[in-house]
Amino acid sequence: MDLKLTSAGSHPRVGDAPEDQRLRRARRLWEEGALSDPQYLEAQRVVTAEAIQEQVAAGLDLVTDGQVRWGDPISHVAGNFSGVEVNGLLRYFDTNFYFRQPVIRGPVKRKGPLLIEDYRYATSVSERSVKPVLTGPYTTAFFSIVEWKGYRDRRVLVEDLARALAEEVADLSAAGASLIQIDEPEILKHPEDLPLLADALRLLAAGKGKAQLALYVYFGDARPLLDRLFDLPVDVLGLDFTYSEDLAERIVSISPDKILGLGLVDGRNTRLETPGEIRQILEVVLPSLKADLCYLNPSCGLEYLPRGRAREKLALLSEIRRDLKGGKR
Amino acid sequence: MSREKLKELGLDLPLLPTTTVGSFPKPETLREARTQFTRGAISRERLEDEERRATEAWITFQQEVGLDLLVDGEMYRGDMVAYFAEALKGFGRGGLVRSYGNRYYHKPAIVGEVKWEGPITTQWWKFAQGLSSRPVKGMLTGPYTIMDWSFNEYYPDRKAACFALAKEIRKEVEALGEAGAKVVQVDEPALSVRSEELPFALEAMRVVTEGLPLYFVSHICYGAFELIYPGILNLAVDNLDLEMSNSELDLLELFEKHPFSKDLSFGVLDVHSHRIESAKKVEARLRAALRVLSPRPSGWTPTAASRPVRKRRREGRSR
Repeated sequence: MDLKLTSAGSHPRVGDAPEDQRLRRARRLWEEGALSDPQYLEAQRVVTAEAIQEQVAAGLDLVTDGQVRWGDPISHVAGNFSGVEVNGLLRYFDTNFYFRQPVIRGPVKRKGPLLIEDYRYATSVSERSVKPVLTGPYTTAFFSIVEWKGYRDRRVLVEDLARALAEEVADLSAAGASLIQIDEPEILKHPEDLPLLADALRLLAAGKGKAQLALYVYFGDARPLLDRLFDLPVDVLGLDFTYSEDLAERIVSISPDKILGLGLVDGRNTRLETPGEIRQILEVVLPSLKADLCYLNPSCGLEYLPRGRAREKLALLSEIRRDLKGGKR
Repeated sequence: MSREKLKELGLDLPLLPTTTVGSFPKPETLREARTQFTRGAISRERLEDEERRATEAWITFQQEVGLDLLVDGEMYRGDMVAYFAEALKGFGRGGLVRSYGNRYYHKPAIVGEVKWEGPITTQWWKFAQGLSSRPVKGMLTGPYTIMDWSFNEYYPDRKAACFALAKEIRKEVEALGEAGAKVVQVDEPALSVRSEELPFALEAMRVVTEGLPLYFVSHICYGAFELIYPGILNLAVDNLDLEMSNSELDLLELFEKHPFSKDLSFGVLDVHSHRIESAKKVEARLRAALRVLSPRPSGWTPTAASRPVRKRRREGRSR
């Protein structure tokens, strides 16, 4: 079993030390008009490179750009579609974080490439492979206010969003991304919509070329729909273990053949797990997996943690892998 | 029933008493003083002078506009959670995390056993009550919301952290009661974010209020209210304060299906809009509500929510 370490998405862009707050200051100056767009982009890139460096230093095999340029997981992607206006703030799941809600006023079409430049930049400064991350069509549709009559049936909106996102997937794959992560946390609350998500993922997969697609679900209990999640048309399934005590046993009972991303390290709470407590769960889960590859990652993006603690959580992933190799197995 | 409780407590309120949710905007002079204090340019005493001055101004204002149940306006708080976290033992300051856009805050972290070491808000309540003959509410944040807005490095899970906080918040309620408060508001705006946790959130409120001779109000805010109704009617308080006017009263449909059985603080003014409603519009909202709630229009309290609550909804906190 090859255990690969990866991030589940975001990385904190600001830390407690004054020198870790450059982006916060740059953003303020940019909002005041004192910093030009290229200057602000440069500031974002410096922090992107830092976020990647922190992941590499922690020993990750597959990094993300930290989503440093994203305002939030919903409006960053949806805001790049025509027919969409970005509205006021709403709480993002049960986090203490707020996103801007898209308002759909017309047919959704991609205005142009969104992530490809960030992806190219990230690969240019990373010693490790970069995994692009996209918020999926189902979650984006769920958090949108739909005003356009053409989307009275929400399925049509989900499909149009999927087509627009498939263009992103195609671009990223063509640029060399080998694994592209699609985030669909909201599906955990709506098992009845799994067929709709499956259709949307098929549309996304149409653009994936040589790349693999990973579906990450988090912020909820995956157990009620676990077996059906394994049937979705994706290559990797990322699971959040922090919402269900016996998710490991449930996985063992199914013995899936899909490649998994195990979100055992809590990306939401500052308590540091011990390598031993994670090893205990891995020793239960890993023997039941049929794939010869498994990802180990935090339960969600790390932006919900202070930056220093996010670094420690990433370093913990390496410790867990070392601990596992040095252990009984 | 609660009307009698109000009477027993010596509170003679009119049929539809008016009040606010809690926080008022901080005047520019106070905001400046807070900045100065953070920079170390002025003393704590100097800051508290400003806070007292601002509190006085808001008490005067509330009396002038004719409110029946007053608040101190929370001039001394930067935040509805961090304020209590700083005062309770067992909390660390926690690192910076982003709340949205370019906004960051220090999210408190529970790093040890939570302990109430002495009155937190009681001095402020005394000060505010000393300025008016009308009743002033004691204002606290509930255990579930403090837990939900903090990291937890000490207790085994969210439930354990919530109960530990509940025991300590109760001591602050008791201190307010001993100081003479009759009405205490224990806000739980986070209550609807994880509906599966409602049972222990309800139990925690029982720990806070049970057996205490006070009239309890709780402000429930954003989130999916329909997921916690009617279960929320078991919250151990006399009165639920609900924002209702920005959702154009769709809660009333819920109440038609399942009758609302507590006293209600009915948010008749929408604090999410800068436009001031006409008296006619407010009357229409009130009449719409009365149709659903009329069997027992006993003790409820139409609420004119104050403007900072707008921020609280957006950020989950008033800062």
